[in-house]
Amino acid sequence: MTKILYTDKLDQCLERWRSAGLSVLGPVRKDNVTAYRPVGSAADFELTQIIPDRSIKELFFPQTEPMMHYSIKKDAIDTEECLPPVGARIIFGARPCDASGLAIDDPLFGWDYKDEYWFNRRNETVIVSIACTKADAFCMCTSLKLSPDSTKGSDVLLRALESGKGWQVEELTDRGREAFKSIAELLVEGSDSVAPTAVVAEKFDADKCAEWLKNPENFESRFWKEISVRCIGCGSCTYLCPTCHCFDIQDEGDTFTGIRRKNWDSCSFALFTMHTSGHNPRSTQSARWRQRIMHKFNYFPGKFSANSCSGCGRCTRQCPVDMGITETLQEISKLSQ
Amino acid sequence: MSIEEQYRTRAKELLSSGEVKLVIGYTKGSTADRRRPAFVSSPEEVDRLVLDGACIANLSGYLVTEGLLSDEKRVAVYLRPEGIRAINILAAEFQLDARQVEILGFNTTGNEPSALAGSKVDDFADLIASLKDSTPDTAGEELYLKLEAMTPQERFDFWQAEFSKCIKCYACRQACPMCYCRRCIVDNNQPQWVNTSSHTLGNFEWNIVRAFHLSGRCVECGNCDRACPVNIPLRLINRKMAGEVLEAFDHFSGSSQTQEPVMASFKKDDTETFIL
Amino acid sequence: MTETIHSAPQNIYKPAIMKIVARHDEAPGVRTMRLEFQDPAEHEQFKETFRTGMFGLYGIYGEGESTFCVASPETRKDYIECTFRQSGRVTSALASADVGDLVTFRGPYGNRFPLEEFYGKNLLFIAGGIALPPTRSVIWSCLDQREKFGKVTIVYGARTVADLVYKHELEEWQKRDDVELVLAVDPGGESPDWKHRVGFVPTVLEEAAPSPENCIAVLCGPPIMIKFTLISLKKLGFEESNVYTTLENRMKCGLGKCGRCNVGSVYVCKEGPVFTAAEVALMPAADL
Repeated sequence: MTKILYTDKLDQCLERWRSAGLSVLGPVRKDNVTAYRPVGSAADFELTQIIPDRSIKELFFPQTEPMMHYSIKKDAIDTEECLPPVGARIIFGARPCDASGLAIDDPLFGWDYKDEYWFNRRNETVIVSIACTKADAFCMCTSLKLSPDSTKGSDVLLRALESGKGWQVEELTDRGREAFKSIAELLVEGSDSVAPTAVVAEKFDADKCAEWLKNPENFESRFWKEISVRCIGCGSCTYLCPTCHCFDIQDEGDTFTGIRRKNWDSCSFALFTMHTSGHNPRSTQSARWRQRIMHKFNYFPGKFSANSCSGCGRCTRQCPVDMGITETLQEISKLSQ
Repeated sequence: MSIEEQYRTRAKELLSSGEVKLVIGYTKGSTADRRRPAFVSSPEEVDRLVLDGACIANLSGYLVTEGLLSDEKRVAVYLRPEGIRAINILAAEFQLDARQVEILGFNTTGNEPSALAGSKVDDFADLIASLKDSTPDTAGEELYLKLEAMTPQERFDFWQAEFSKCIKCYACRQACPMCYCRRCIVDNNQPQWVNTSSHTLGNFEWNIVRAFHLSGRCVECGNCDRACPVNIPLRLINRKMAGEVLEAFDHFSGSSQTQEPVMASFKKDDTETFIL
Repeated sequence: MTETIHSAPQNIYKPAIMKIVARHDEAPGVRTMRLEFQDPAEHEQFKETFRTGMFGLYGIYGEGESTFCVASPETRKDYIECTFRQSGRVTSALASADVGDLVTFRGPYGNRFPLEEFYGKNLLFIAGGIALPPTRSVIWSCLDQREKFGKVTIVYGARTVADLVYKHELEEWQKRDDVELVLAVDPGGESPDWKHRVGFVPTVLEEAAPSPENCIAVLCGPPIMIKFTLISLKKLGFEESNVYTTLENRMKCGLGKCGRCNVGSVYVCKEGPVFTAAEVALMPAADL
């Protein structure tokens, strides 16, 4: 016997959560794009798409984040900090790869200096993930030792019922238990069977690839040019990726007042590492592609014990020239044999 | 012989004879219905090249990759009519020498590509002229007509909603053959002409600036539209501008190598006396 | 989106406000500024954390931030000095700022020179052009506690006489009898009354031939100079683990989060900017 949440109770759940002070977000399709957004009623949820087009990181690390207002006076500079809106939230319907992406980035945003913009939001958000029953050709979570029903980063994991009428509930963390207390009466004990989890074949072995990547002799291999020759440096992959976190700091305003903002940036962009002197350590697209792969599968795990990738596949799904991590790592796997 | 076979044979000839050093075409992608750009430099590899109804990306942009044509050798490239127009524009704007480009032209009607006669860009002059009054791109037709029927306010609201999706990834720019500037206007910080933030104002700034920079230059290949990760119907803005330019200046972009860029040239009998 | 604005215990992106109390033109396009904290609490934080070798992000609201080393030593924490070349948007704005103007400072960030490991040793400082500032912070850290160190030799060269920075301090060091200063300009850069050496730094260094015995070298300069100077140092018998240098890279956050400044797996803002030549040799040269 397990706890079951039937779909017809979902609207009441939203009500209960709102009364408990949680605003509700989830995958919503609007203007041809599915993203994690505020939800009105249960009918707004888009839960049948394999994965939302945009990743969950936007709710914790927005494309543009005002950090402080500044006002330059004659003998002083007044600043007012902008911190993220205070308010508890519950994200219902996250994909496990999105949730694990957040857990992967936590140690980076907390590396010696704690980024409050990230953690204020993390600490106030309950993540309710739904295990995947469908996958497409681009999914690759299992290659990262994750899975369509991974619990990493989630507070509650739901599994779809075979009947399609609801979900089996597994509360994972204190935060998840707390949030589900307020809907306890809407859950029932049941033994409804659960739909089978999606099967995602392993496409590469990230650990074997890491060995090849760590070998200094491979840093300047011709492989990098060959694999990335069609890459146009558009940055879509980095922007849709749940673990990519590069950013820029920009001041916007006039001579005396303005806002200092944190904006997304991408290591794929040509001018990302351009020095004012004109020297650019990564002046070719192949050097930038190498940086992307090295960072995700060599440098990041070296510091934070997890690959900077949760296998969601958005990079390849969206790429205009059909690039993506899978092909590169598959080729590296071949080279490391 | 299918066009795929025909062009493979041609590619092999061109590479074996040394007439070209590289063939840019299409090959199978990561799924059955995907195609990806292929770069073939040896005759043994030509079997990688495919050509079918799924081959739609405009590959002309790769020709202006830094250093590609600087050794004065020739490159062959699979191009649809929009791509051929793009070669004309790039040549007219001094970004490449059209003599270095060998064209394997094709058009796709229904789902079947058919070969276009000719191999140098000037061979296609008549074909391009015949396209002037037709709609090259029917993919966005329904929405385009819907927009045309709207009032200016309705249209503004539509685009405001669309641009609020923009995440400033600049994929549209990277995918576009005409966006070849080494330092794009958004990359300038003295002054910062265009904000990099993705609030609605910043998004409007970027997309409108790009639409204007492409006026009279866009060939409506749809690369930008397909590249956009948030599905903004970018082709429609550029199509609108192309229509305006055609009407105001009788200018159809990419008609020839010597065609002057409409927004960058001035004639004594222009109706305006100044840029405003 | 309405922004909730309230104060926070510690926003890591918030800079301290500094007043320019002195400025000095070192060379064409090169400026030194002396900055003082306006907020005592921020000053206290700096005094507690700053060690020689660390860097900061200096900026002006409305323009942005730029990364330079802290050119003043840990033995003098009442102010911050920095030296920069005017080359882009932020440095141009800083260069137009006057005494009394307010600028921003974020830091100190990065690692430090392990000065205690240099106690009792001879020190060889080698710098080229505008790379004297990071070296200078170490030089003063040592001269301010002179008795802790052995022989001090400074080899400094610039393209022309005008390009030498810290000209007043060079004179001071020249006059001291507990410092050996070897000054040079590149061939063709000498003025008619130039009394010192003429030649590139690696050549001048080999002529001076300092002994590697019990000696630590601190070497800062443009990549090409470092490359050839290292060759000369090896010729003179120096071990790479006894040669310290600083790396710089394009930075934005200085905190290890924006993903920009890494050379291979090493983040210059967190694991640098101070490195031994041995550590640099392990980094992928293609990423520098």
